[in-house]
Amino acid sequence: MMDIATQEIYLQGIPHEDFAKLRATEGLVWHPYEDNGFWAVTRYQDVRQVSRNPEIFSSAIGHTNLWDLEADALEARRSLIDSDSPSHTRLRRVVSSLFTPRNLLVWEETIRRIAGELLDAYLEEGGGDWVEKVAAPLPIQVILSILGVPLEEADYMVELTNHLVGGTTGQQNPLPDDAYGNTTPVRLLPFNSPASHALFEYGARIGEDRRQSPQKDLVTQLVFAEVEGISLTAEEFRNFFQLLIFAGNETTRTAMIHGGEAFADFPDQWQRVLHDPNLVDTAVEEVLRWATPVLHFRRTTQVATQLAGTDIAAGEKVVMWYASANRDETVFADPFTFDVGRQENDHFAFGGGGPHFCLGAFLARLEIRVLIEEMRERGICLTKNSEPVRLDSNFVHGVLSLDLAAQGGSTV
Amino acid sequence: MSEDLVEVQVDAEKCIGIGNCEMLEPEVFLLNDDTGVASTVGTRLLSLERAEKVVAGCPSGSLSIRAAK
Repeated sequence: MMDIATQEIYLQGIPHEDFAKLRATEGLVWHPYEDNGFWAVTRYQDVRQVSRNPEIFSSAIGHTNLWDLEADALEARRSLIDSDSPSHTRLRRVVSSLFTPRNLLVWEETIRRIAGELLDAYLEEGGGDWVEKVAAPLPIQVILSILGVPLEEADYMVELTNHLVGGTTGQQNPLPDDAYGNTTPVRLLPFNSPASHALFEYGARIGEDRRQSPQKDLVTQLVFAEVEGISLTAEEFRNFFQLLIFAGNETTRTAMIHGGEAFADFPDQWQRVLHDPNLVDTAVEEVLRWATPVLHFRRTTQVATQLAGTDIAAGEKVVMWYASANRDETVFADPFTFDVGRQENDHFAFGGGGPHFCLGAFLARLEIRVLIEEMRERGICLTKNSEPVRLDSNFVHGVLSLDLAAQGGSTV
Repeated sequence: MSEDLVEVQVDAEKCIGIGNCEMLEPEVFLLNDDTGVASTVGTRLLSLERAEKVVAGCPSGSLSIRAAK
């Protein structure tokens, strides 16, 4: 029996064998889930089709994760992720100009300084937990710098977003409902987590502060941003702040974790990167494909349709498994080989295109590139002390800890 | 030579400001500083090969080719 939905399975890694069987099956497979099920979309071209046809495959109905939310919960949590146009277009326009390559490149030197400091400290200790020492602190410090949140808050923000990820796992939420002074019913909070309340509170406070005394930072830009004369409502701002803190660190962290593991597992590939600076850009893309930090997103059909020859009724769940599309053997040559020089690599680590394509894609690529460049600069070689401790989540390709040894001074 | 040049048009309704076009072809595409929406500037003309590359590189599917006059 194939199963790609049970959380505990992911403790052993992505169920690639089941995904390969699903890709090889004609049409779409109906996968049981709770008291109903979903259409499992596992082939590259089918994921692309769903991603790029939002008028058929909605993000605003039901939920963008496997389980359904009640209407009031969906409304209270609604962000860019679970909106359709025209409200999605409006929200996206408020922030998209702040995330263009031109406007993000000014952060490159800041990213380089943060990455350098973390790697120097990591080398000094001969390695350790790659997650705690490098992959987690780097993206959170970058997104906090851009937002204008003091870096002293980095540990607190990582703690909060770890709880949010916890809300997608088999254990669900280990926190009591009133943690962080929460009084909102948790079903109305993102990831059912009282940690969302803490992030909302923090966001509201810093937003109010910047409204009073504007700074040169993203929070200030967000509170004053206007498109067609309309700015964000208080709820939209707080949901946005929460989304940026979450998506700006958990996902890039996950890519860096799997990248570090891959460089330890395949030292010949890392040697290629060390010897040839022209391979840095293709290595970044291969790390992204290999990691696929977000395993799936769900859409719900607004109308009856057909996909891969299978009839789909209106109102059914259609789940795009990026983790499978990125190993599609009809698109990627030797998809289970980690190849830092891979040429044709139009992966779906940022989604399959369309209006919901990852807002932070350029920033994530920039951070991973700078990390690799700074590792090269120091001639760092990583080896594995033990296997990673994985998260039991079918949504985030998460790793809790990864013990590596690090040696510097490898010169070419 | 001129028969090889084509114009790429932007669907401003679909554009979400990813900015790949501006990175690839900065002399032809410019993202609006307020909305992030791309538009074409300058000569607006590209070789067919470069036009196809920039169209394929747009994740939101906002770009399309039309033959230049």
